[in-house]
Amino acid sequence: MTTTAWSWRPAAPLLPLLPALALLPLLLVLPGLIHGGGWELVAQFAAAAITPSLDPLLLRTALAGLGITVGIALLGWALSLALGLVGGVLSSRIVWRTWLGVAWPASAIRRFLAVPRSIHELLWGLLLLQLLGLKPAVAVLAIAIPYAALVARVVSDLLDALPTAPLQALRSGGAPAGAALLTALGPALLPGAFSYGGYRLECALRSATLLGVFGLGGLGTELRLSLQSLQFHELWTGLWLLLAVMLSLEALLRALRHRWGMPSRFKLTTAGVGRSGRELLLALLGLLPVLVLVAMALEISPAQLLAWQPLPPLQANWPAVLALPWAALVATTLGLTLLAACLAVGVAPLLLLLVAPWPWGRLLLRAVWAMGRLWPPPLTALLLLFVLKPGVITAALALAFHNLGVLGRLLLEACEDTADQPGSGGAEVALSCSGCGPRLALLYGRFSGLARSYLAYGAYRADVILRETVVVGLVGAAGLGSLLLEALSSFAVDELIALIAVYALLTLLGEDLSDRVRQRLLSG
Amino acid sequence: MATSKEPSPLLELRGVTVPGRGANRLEEVSLQLRAGERVALLGSSGAGKSTLLAVANGLLPPPAGAVLWQGAAPARSRRLRQRQRARIGTLWQDLRLIEELTVQQNLNAARLADWGWPKALANLLQPLETEANGAALREVDLDPALLPQPVTALSGGQRQRLAIARLLRQEPALLLADEPLAQLDPRLAVELLALLLRQVTGSRALLLSLHRPDLAGDFDRVLALRAGKLVLDTTPAELNPDLLRWLYDPDPDLDPAATRIGPP
Repeated sequence: MTTTAWSWRPAAPLLPLLPALALLPLLLVLPGLIHGGGWELVAQFAAAAITPSLDPLLLRTALAGLGITVGIALLGWALSLALGLVGGVLSSRIVWRTWLGVAWPASAIRRFLAVPRSIHELLWGLLLLQLLGLKPAVAVLAIAIPYAALVARVVSDLLDALPTAPLQALRSGGAPAGAALLTALGPALLPGAFSYGGYRLECALRSATLLGVFGLGGLGTELRLSLQSLQFHELWTGLWLLLAVMLSLEALLRALRHRWGMPSRFKLTTAGVGRSGRELLLALLGLLPVLVLVAMALEISPAQLLAWQPLPPLQANWPAVLALPWAALVATTLGLTLLAACLAVGVAPLLLLLVAPWPWGRLLLRAVWAMGRLWPPPLTALLLLFVLKPGVITAALALAFHNLGVLGRLLLEACEDTADQPGSGGAEVALSCSGCGPRLALLYGRFSGLARSYLAYGAYRADVILRETVVVGLVGAAGLGSLLLEALSSFAVDELIALIAVYALLTLLGEDLSDRVRQRLLSG
Repeated sequence: MATSKEPSPLLELRGVTVPGRGANRLEEVSLQLRAGERVALLGSSGAGKSTLLAVANGLLPPPAGAVLWQGAAPARSRRLRQRQRARIGTLWQDLRLIEELTVQQNLNAARLADWGWPKALANLLQPLETEANGAALREVDLDPALLPQPVTALSGGQRQRLAIARLLRQEPALLLADEPLAQLDPRLAVELLALLLRQVTGSRALLLSLHRPDLAGDFDRVLALRAGKLVLDTTPAELNPDLLRWLYDPDPDLDPAATRIGPP
């Protein structure tokens, strides 16, 4: 008889579900966090969803706010893409090696770009607000700076992962470095870079809304004011409008990705070559006049960026800054990140398994996840405060819900990919044909193949969540985020500098860790 | 008149029509498959063989006509339909093994229709039913020592055998195979065909779509499709070069009336 050792090592299909174990301790402590009042408000909020205010004046204000938000997102995104492409090329090892025969300048630029990347767009926004005053250009720059650094990183990663044989062939044929790089790497880079660029536009819309919540203009400001004054009907007017724009944008970008044969978010590491470069180029050219018109409508001009306001004098009290409870602050921030990441990463596949086989299950999930993406985390946090006490768990729930919206949608899309390609659904169909129920067929047949790329994306998402912890600081979640927002509002510049430095260091370490996890998952 | 009731066919198609163009089309296909029968399905590429098998295993509910499994139409209730489908095993051309799991876990995946969640989850944590899986591997001439191996560690031939072993673990009454011998070298194709034919015992039946008519000799019956129509139902002995030329030639001169439609 053959004996096989007991391993207790979970197989691939279980891996995406493991983070959901964080629900167990959460369910234990959650009852203690619920406070008496507020359920009535939550019920009013839910009921208002079906009766949004249709007051013409309000609609006009909401549409104007939405226009500003979309405009900020579009300009911030376009600027970040342009800067990010340049930054990406400049921080690519293969480019420097082909050009000058050395790779160290690429590494140096990469390290430099890590700094703007590590600071969340909200912090950029609030810092620039001090410098430039309240104007749409602040929000545009706040998005463009960290996004450009993110795009640069992805572009350089994509460039360095491309096969080098065509480049070597051109170089050995005597082609100059610039022409060889452009010919050998340019077309191969485009599908991955533009697919990622498309996702950044979706993110930019969410970021622009979030910046609005913190007073940087646009619909987010209206949403926060409506929520704080408990005008739920008005709130839902804005939310439904934003949802319509968000879903239209996502559908448009998805259709374009399909049309141009671009890789989905999970498959960006194995990008193939797209088919219709000419159409893509035309679309980009068509976008240019739109951007100019948007900039004119928002009254954004480069001259605005040069008019700096005087900063308050720096009154540093470094011993007091050093005396802050740094260990506790860092631990709380990391705990908040870990809990939110586990909930977002683990609950998305769990809900998919439980709900998707219902007759309207997938539609329901789409709706829940759209709400998650739509609703900026600080607003979710404020809403949760109606029924929960402020603290780390409330903040983690708000962050988790938002990221669940992002992860859940990508997972559902990946599960709906065609079943014709090996490893992408064939096993699920085969199991269904052998009488297996839909949930087990999904678990065994789909999750097996998706587990690694999903978790790799989850690791990236955890890194994003670490940056985002600052945005839920306003619910008194403790941690670095809360203190940072306090320092900003009280102009405690010394504390601010120290906190941003620690935050940046932490996010860089987190990014490094998440990179390692991702590489291990994708190569293992 | 005989009073003894004959058991229902394991598979019956009645006037199945799948509209469409090319390979996806079926036109008024009727056939019966009884226990103990080993039936080869011939036809050129695009004749509708895969569509017929998809109808037979329930993947493609036919827009017109009926499919009956052991005399019963597919149940309306999902659970009952699952029970029915558990009696039909399909060997896919691309095998559809779960690449991220071990040999043992793949074999156990064939039992999921009968297992509840606890056992299905336990299979992802620890080896289950090692005895039965070892026996299934021996049945297809594989070493049970392969059980803890990842599927990706197997050779091409071993993967084919594993797919057949998984089929056996399902314990189906009706075996369907969609061109399982395509892309195999001639020796392996003959070996695997013998292995598959060996599995058809008294209560089982096999319907296997075949690219190579020269391998049809060991079957009990041969069906053939041409442009979505069932045009041939005969014995292997009656296959002749003219018939095959007509079957595979896109523009034949041979009179279709020369062929015999109906049970041999």
